[in-house]
Parts: sequence; C-alpha cells; structure tokens
Amino acid sequence: MDIRELQGYASFFMTVFLVVVLYWYIVYLYRSEKKGEKDYEKLGNIALDDELDSTPVNTSDPLPNDKKEQNK
Amino acid sequence: MQSNAALEYDYTVAKLYTYTTILFGFVGMLIGTLIAAQLAFPELNYLLGEYGTFSRLRPLHTNVVIYGFTVSGVFATFYYSAQRVLKVSMAESKLAMFAGKLQFGLYLIAATGMVVSLLMGITTTKEYAQMEWPLDILIVVIWVLWGVAMFALIGIRREKALYISMWYFIACFLGVAMLYLFNNMEVPTYFASGGVGAITHSVSMYSGTNDALVQWWWGHNAVAFVFTVPIVGMIYYFLPKESGQAIYSYKLSLLSFWGLMFVYLWAGSHHLLYSTVPDWMQTMGSVFSVVLILPSWGSAINMLLTMKGEWNQLTDNPLIKFMVLASTFYMLSTLEGPIQAIKSVNAIAHFTDWIPGHVHDGVLGWVAFMIMSGLFHMAPRMFKREIYSKKLVEAQFWIQTTAVVLYFTSMWIAGITQGMMWRAVDEYGNLMYSFIDTVTVLHPYYAIRALAGVLYVTGFVMFAYNMIKTMSSSRELAEEPQFRSPMA
Amino acid sequence: MFHWLEKNPFFFAVGVFIVIAFAGLIEILPNFAEASRPVDGLRPNTVLELAGKNVYMKDQCIACHSQLIRPFKAETDRYGQYSLSGEYAYDRPFLWGSKRTGPDLHRVGNYRTTDWHENHMWEPTSVVPGSIMPAYKHMFTNVADLATAYAEAVTVKNVFNTPYGDDIQPGKKAFEAYKPKILEEAKKIAADMKNKDVKDMVAQGKVPEIVALIAYLNSLGSSRYDAKK
Repeated sequence: MDIRELQGYASFFMTVFLVVVLYWYIVYLYRSEKKGEKDYEKLGNIALDDELDSTPVNTSDPLPNDKKEQNK
Repeated sequence: MQSNAALEYDYTVAKLYTYTTILFGFVGMLIGTLIAAQLAFPELNYLLGEYGTFSRLRPLHTNVVIYGFTVSGVFATFYYSAQRVLKVSMAESKLAMFAGKLQFGLYLIAATGMVVSLLMGITTTKEYAQMEWPLDILIVVIWVLWGVAMFALIGIRREKALYISMWYFIACFLGVAMLYLFNNMEVPTYFASGGVGAITHSVSMYSGTNDALVQWWWGHNAVAFVFTVPIVGMIYYFLPKESGQAIYSYKLSLLSFWGLMFVYLWAGSHHLLYSTVPDWMQTMGSVFSVVLILPSWGSAINMLLTMKGEWNQLTDNPLIKFMVLASTFYMLSTLEGPIQAIKSVNAIAHFTDWIPGHVHDGVLGWVAFMIMSGLFHMAPRMFKREIYSKKLVEAQFWIQTTAVVLYFTSMWIAGITQGMMWRAVDEYGNLMYSFIDTVTVLHPYYAIRALAGVLYVTGFVMFAYNMIKTMSSSRELAEEPQFRSPMA
Repeated sequence: MFHWLEKNPFFFAVGVFIVIAFAGLIEILPNFAEASRPVDGLRPNTVLELAGKNVYMKDQCIACHSQLIRPFKAETDRYGQYSLSGEYAYDRPFLWGSKRTGPDLHRVGNYRTTDWHENHMWEPTSVVPGSIMPAYKHMFTNVADLATAYAEAVTVKNVFNTPYGDDIQPGKKAFEAYKPKILEEAKKIAADMKNKDVKDMVAQGKVPEIVALIAYLNSLGSSRYDAKK
C-alpha cells in the first residue's frame, strides 16, 4: 500500500468521523435540551445582558472569582 | 457583588486598536486604489520612483489591509467584546492588561517594520506571508501575547458559559498560530553562511511544489481564520447587541461553528480524488464532504433570521444595514468560493481577475463592513459620546455598497473575458489572441474598478471623519446605551 | 463528552488544534517526498541567477507573472511544455504566482533574448505596444546584492544538500574568492546588451540588477536540465 493510498483512506475515514461527530453533536444538543438538562437558547442573552454587574446568565458552577478578588 | 460597584469595563487597549484600524484601513485602501488605477493608467507607476510601481505596492496593499486593518479590527473588537461576554473587566487582571498593552506596542513596531521592509523590497514573496524572519518572530510574540490576554480573561470570567463569539476568537488564535508557524519556517542565510550578505534574507524550509503546498494550505486557511472566523465572531456579538434581538438559534450557531471548523481544514482534500482509493469510497467521500459543509452555511441564515420581525430596524438603523448586507456578502462569497473550486470553472478562473474580484466581494462587503459597523457600535460606549452624524453613516453605506457592486461585477466580466480569450482558438486550432490583446481589452474594466476603489476610499474617509468627530466633539452621553447606538 | 468540552475551554482548544493539525498532516505530508525529487539533470541556479531571482522577488514580478504552465492545450501552445513538479525542486521559495496580469514566464528563456529583455525592462511599450507593465529603469543603476545570493547558495548547499560545487563555501573570504566567477558570467550577459552605463558598471566589477535579472530570466525554461525526453 503506497502512501497516496494510505492518504486516501485516512482522509475518507477522517471525513466520516467528522460527520458522525458533528451530527452526534446535533442530537446531543436537542436531546439535552428536551430532557431539561440544558437551556442553550438562553445563552444567546449573554450578548444582550452584558453589563459588568448584571447577573451571569449561566451560573451552573460556583464562581471562582471570589478568590481572585481577595488577592488584589 | 458590591465590590464591583466602582469597577468598569476597561477599553484602553480596544481604543488603541481602534485608532490603528482607522489609520491602516485608510492607508491600505488608498494604496489599493492607486494600484487599481495603475492597471488602467500605467503612467501612475512613476509617482514614487522605484517605490511606486504596481509590483512593489501590491504586497504592501494586501499586507496593510490584512495585518494592519483587519487584524487591528479583530483585536479592537476582541478587547471590547471579550470583556463584556465574559463579564469581567480588563482592569481586574493585571496580566491581561499588561499583555494587551505590550502586544499593542509590539504590534506598532511590527506594522511599521512591515511597511518599511515591503517598500524596500525585503520580502519572502509568499503571499500574505511576505514578511521576513525578524518580523515573523515579532509576530509570533504578538500572537502569544494575545493568547495570554485571552486566557487570562477567560480564567477569571464570571459568565461560566463561553459565548459563541469567544469560540470564534479562540479558533482564530489557534488556527493562525499553527498555520503561520508552519508556513514561515525559513533559514536565515546570514547565519547559515558564516555572515555573508544581508541579515534579513532567508530561504524557505520547503522547496518548489512542497513550498507551494504549504503556502496554499496557509493561503486558503489564513483566509478562513483571519477573514471569516473572527468576523463571524464579531457579527454574533454586534448584531444581537445592536438590534436587541438574541440570536435566532443558539444551537444552530454552535453547529455552524463546528461545521466551519471541519470544512475549512478539510476543503483541501478534494485533490485526493483520482488516486488509487476505490471508486465507491471516493464517491462516498464527496457525499460526506457535502454533508459536512451544510451546517457551516447556518451562520449567515442564523444572522438573517435574528432580524425576524424586526426588519423595520433595517430602514432606520444604518448600522443594522451594514451588518445585514455584510452577512449577505458572506453568503455570496462562500458560495462563490466552492464554485471556483470546481475543476472546469477553475481552469478558466485561475490566474484571472475573477480571483481578486472574489476576494474583494468578501473583504469589502463582508470583512470591512463588519469591522466598521462594529467600531461604530463600540464608539458611543468607549468614548461616552453619541455617533457624530447619522446622515454621514447613511451616505457612507450607499457609496460603499455601490463601490463593492462595481468592483465585483467589473472583475467578474474581466476575469471571464480574459480566461476565455486565453483559450480561444480559431477553426484551425491556433490561438486567436496574443497575450497583449487580452490585456488591452480589460482597460474599461480596470477603469471601473479604479472608480470603485475611489468610491470605497471616499466612504472610508467619511467613516474616519465620523469616528474622529465622535471621539472628540460629539454630544456626551449621560449613560451607556443598552442596544441601539445613538447617533445625531 | 460535549458537556465536558463546553465547560473546559482549554481542552476545547486542544481539540480544535488536533483536528486542524491532523487534517494538515493527511493533506500535505505524504506528497512531500514525491514532490521534492528533481527532474533528470536539473542544475541549481548559478549565484548570478540567484541574485536575479532575488531581484525578481524584490520587485515582486510575481505580482503579475506566473511560473506555472498548466497541462491545457491553450497553455502549452502559448508558453511551451507544461511545468513538471521536478523542475521546481531547487526553488526556495516557489514562484508560481497567483495572477497573470502579464504572461507566464516559466519558459521565457526559451523564446526571449537578452536584448529583448533589456529593451523591455527599460521601456515595455517599445517592444510590446499597449503594455501596462511599468518600466524598471532603476534596475539599470541599482547594484545587485551578490553577497546575499552567494549566502543563499551556501545555505541551500549546507542545509538542504542542493548540489553546488565545492567552491561554494561559508565565510566572507570564500565569497571574495568566488566573486570573479560571478563577474565572468555577468560579462557574458552585458556583452549582449547595449546600455553604456551597464557595460561600464560590469567592467568596474559591479553587477547592476538588470544583468542578474536577465541571467535569471534566461535560465527559465529548458536550459537548466537536459531535454532528453
């Protein structure tokens, strides 16, 4: 098997792999929203409500900032 | 969050890059117009002696508009919008602030070095990578500093989810970093030869066909990662913010991001067709490529759908006009690109004026429109004054739109004319035209293109004037506008 | 997996990077060995020709002229035999160009002469009426940078094993020793030219850019390898 052939197979499988990943991601997005785990559409508000003191749209994790602010 | 009461977004670095965007935009477009005119009226080649010929100025034009105007615009909008979507001020991170300021200082040095060296003819001649090795090193440092500032801000963000614009900026950072490094691998001749000759000169690590492969891998993807990725990032922030409408579908925006990433990197693989791989696999490969491309067209549609039910804003807010037209041009040029890549079309289009035509409907209609409207949106927030004149923005919009249309239509005609004439044969199979026939026939189209250039630069001068007036003498605002940018 | 990537921008970045790099690897690398093999009997450019190539680069002839003849009848009729990958094996950088505002130059040495180039570079319209190419009169007075061209030859010889002779050695002394050979070649070109100043300069041991450039243009074509087949 020469290198051109190898290259051909590699690119084919890479393309298929990427397609699978991409469409799996689509399924993931819609399913997790349906199950109520995530609300992606509300993330669109990050651009609209972007004052420094406005409440973060996504607060699912504890804020790491408190530590940083004490350092100053 | 009481501690944030006195804290504000810090636009120092964003402002600095705004100034350079305006400066380099003007210089780059002015040179572009001059060289366009030189093709129609060759006497214009002798204005600056040895330094004023078309050939010397063309790389200067491309480099100033790419590395001067566009990259400045990307940095300006990044340092503005990143703070806001992460909900963290530059003032909170000494590291980000330091990196940002140092980056700007080095950027000025590199940009000056670039202009001077290209005028002197110190160049590697690899398109969009013409800068010689000392400047390449400086650019790597600048890029790394951008990364430092970016991740320093991301590290202390209050908004846990990264907004879609940030994804695009990160991709731009990484993509350009890798491509630039690989393409600019070169050996300085001075050090390899025991101190003979010019210190700035270098030879490429790759030779001939390989050099071309790497160069066009860069050339193709640089367009993606400088002219597409960060600009899409901009429109995802500025269009919703200016119109007060959240993105039509956030999920679609995530999908088209990945679609775009995969496609651009992968678009080069069509040259594998006709190799020894089985036929069915080649066919399936093509089918899957199309399936992969589909989601990447989602961005432009998403932008237009964001305006659903709010189309009245298109008539009364000129910034919305700019942004909507920009996404339309984005669709146009992303369709035009694949068409040109079709083998039989490429046989005619390659080497002709259709290629600069294609590039310019993208950069004038999409990139520059988006950057200018982004800066217009930022100005009232950064300088706390309203935009100086709405009338001027309106006039600028129509003048520049006319310019873009004139530009690409004339270059389409010129390119196809030339491509057809090169291959035209008479009844005996002899070539019908000598090369010079195919040059002189283009004169009217070159003249129209030069006119388009003059119009576009005129529009840009109006933009610059409007911005400067906004910074200095426009009416002051009591509080920051929430969505629509106020203008007099 | 996706949930985790969304929350970890660092790993997200690494993911993007791997995808990009892998694509590049598959697309480019395997062709490398194949494409860098020179055609039979190809000789590298002489130092004078390299100096000319650097003039070609300095004045960005590449902005309007390609050096790539595609395998179409219309192109081979106009410019000659289509370009072979192996002909570029010693070209650093490649100078294919991307725009033909002027004609292709890959085989220009086969059908243009020194005096044609001299007239053309001095005043293009004198030999090609209607030409929109600018005149390059400054090339007749600017002195070509032979030292840099020599340094380039040394570099490609030592770093990339380009087959130059043993007289190409690092160091300033070696360059001074080699210089007469360059001048010898330049004199042959100048003998076919009529410009008085150019002839005077070459006689004084200085090589104007135009002489180096013409040496380079003459080398484009089949003179650099045996056209056996």
